[in-house]
Amino acid sequence: MNIKIMHLYPDLLNLYGDRGNIECLRKRLIWRGIDAEVVTHTCDDTSFDISDVDIIFLGGGSDREQKIVCTRLLEHKKELKDFVENGGSLVAVCGGYQLLGKYYKLEDQTIPGLEILDIYTEQGKKRLIGNIVLKSDIIDEEIVGFENHGGRTYTGNYKPLGKTLYGHGNHDDAGAEGVVYKNVIATYLHGPLLPKNPQLCDHILKNALKKKYKDFTELDPLDDELEHMANRYIVERFCGNGGKA
Amino acid sequence: MRKLIAIWAGKLLTVAGKLVGKKSSASPGAFALKICPDLVSDINKIVKKKVIVTCGTNGKTTTNNLVCSALEAKGYKVLCNRLGANMLSGIATTYIQSADIFGRVRADYACLEIDEAYTPIVFKQVKPDIMIITNLFRDQLDRYGEIDITVNIIKKAIAQAGDVKLVLNADDPLCVQFGREPGVKAVYYGISEQVLPQVDDTKEGRFCPICGAEQRFNFYHYSQLGDFYCPECGYKRPDPEYDIRNVSLKTPIRFTINGHQMEVNYKGFYNIYNLAAVYAALDVASESTDDFAKLLEGYKPQIGRMQEFNINGKPVILSLSKNPAGFNQAISTVNTDDRKKDVIIAINDLANDGRDVSWLWDVDFHKIKDENLNSLATTGIRVYDISLRFKYADIKVDLMTDSMKEAVLRAVNTNSEAVYVLVNYTALYPTESVLKELERGSV
Repeated sequence: MNIKIMHLYPDLLNLYGDRGNIECLRKRLIWRGIDAEVVTHTCDDTSFDISDVDIIFLGGGSDREQKIVCTRLLEHKKELKDFVENGGSLVAVCGGYQLLGKYYKLEDQTIPGLEILDIYTEQGKKRLIGNIVLKSDIIDEEIVGFENHGGRTYTGNYKPLGKTLYGHGNHDDAGAEGVVYKNVIATYLHGPLLPKNPQLCDHILKNALKKKYKDFTELDPLDDELEHMANRYIVERFCGNGGKA
Repeated sequence: MRKLIAIWAGKLLTVAGKLVGKKSSASPGAFALKICPDLVSDINKIVKKKVIVTCGTNGKTTTNNLVCSALEAKGYKVLCNRLGANMLSGIATTYIQSADIFGRVRADYACLEIDEAYTPIVFKQVKPDIMIITNLFRDQLDRYGEIDITVNIIKKAIAQAGDVKLVLNADDPLCVQFGREPGVKAVYYGISEQVLPQVDDTKEGRFCPICGAEQRFNFYHYSQLGDFYCPECGYKRPDPEYDIRNVSLKTPIRFTINGHQMEVNYKGFYNIYNLAAVYAALDVASESTDDFAKLLEGYKPQIGRMQEFNINGKPVILSLSKNPAGFNQAISTVNTDDRKKDVIIAINDLANDGRDVSWLWDVDFHKIKDENLNSLATTGIRVYDISLRFKYADIKVDLMTDSMKEAVLRAVNTNSEAVYVLVNYTALYPTESVLKELERGSV
């Protein structure tokens, strides 16, 4: 088996250790004997071919860098939309999450989005910064990470990635964080997101494998003791008693 | 009178702090500022010659203290926040500690290291005559948001400072932009030849700060430092007034500034920048730079700047790094040491470290795996995060522990020839205590 991962604009969107997410996806395939190919699409690439890509990763950048990416990606809006609607796996973090929506309204301008999700973001007064813990119903283990965003994202009727046990989430009083839609995971969490959330990483890998290989059933278990300790540490530090805050 | 009370109160707090064994580098000043908010506003009047401030992400403390040492070697009295407490409260503490019981401070020069984010606040009270900006790297993003925000804060501070002469790193595109602000006078220092292998590490200022296009490099040193130019708008590295060439990184480090030979017993490429900044600042202050090396003899590095201990006959080297660029430099310094070595890494996430540890993934920790690495130990509050970072880089962590002492004891008893201890900010003082204790043999 083989999974192809595309990292979009690592030259621009690489603010919060995003390469850790790519490494995590890649290593957790390789450790199971599944081939993983990582390709990048950067500012220098003129062609944009995602026809054989299984997982797309879109990270976070500063507002300025995000604007550059957006201008580039708007040209490929349709391909990306079709990719998502056909069940392709897309992971979007921070700025990448905001870009999936209709627009990001800043104080002095509005950055148009890819309109892959019917959500929108507005710049808030204070940045929402800190550790964050979520309870999601797509995996058992709590999702832990760090958020740092000026934007407030309004997600309508979409299913959130999780309920906020600690931290802010989509906006000041959202009580929820991120969006799950088809095989899209969109979230403000970095840290980076996946190494401390191995179940979420495996969930993404499973989705991609299921779509590509009809007879695929389950991933082999890995020794995740260290990952779980890292995850538990954050849950207990901020929520106490095993996360039942 | 308010001022005198504030100074006395601060002095009392310093004494009280010493009695309970606390290093008071900021708190007496913070308390005194509550009594007298404009406590330090007469520094410009007090100082007979010039106020020199140093900002920038890395190298602030070293550069500032070197300038101070050089001026002291010339016989001047210098007001200096040597311990690196670099917000208004730290400067107030320095002020209080140098005041006599009548509240009088005497100084020929003031050398003040200032946290970038606090420059506008400090400059309301103290106007710099010379401002050194060493470099700008990604640092503590959870505090500053993004690097663009830091840039804007510094621009605002420069405008506020008025008639100031900037001393800037010519190799840093993020720094050079400050010299282009309206009405600004600037001089530059830079390393004008390729010294290090050209590897692709995380670059902060990939994009032209003027027009946003991707910059190119004829060569670079590390991160975004190098001979940069923008193919779109023509923004480029200025020809530095203080031109460094003929660099040799073997200890002692050798190089020339404007043809003058320098030789210093420091480790680490980045120290060339620190020394060049000091040289430039002295020259701008119209102080002679003849016998430059001699002027620096009295300089004692602050703790954690490749500080060497000797435990059971083995050298143990402590290095403080606070951000990816700093850690990458520390790792490259470890790797230039050919001895067989053990490495210990401690990562904390307290407020002074930055609560966000995602930067660990921006550091080239995988480069630590060279043939001379004997063993690797991890510790600190975020011991799991740093260990995971190594797991996904396929590097075996031999010991994960919550005790620095355990890690050091283990490392000094292996058959390696040296031990490197790399820590971030709040792990520094506890680690230094452990190393001192072990050095004394009072285990």
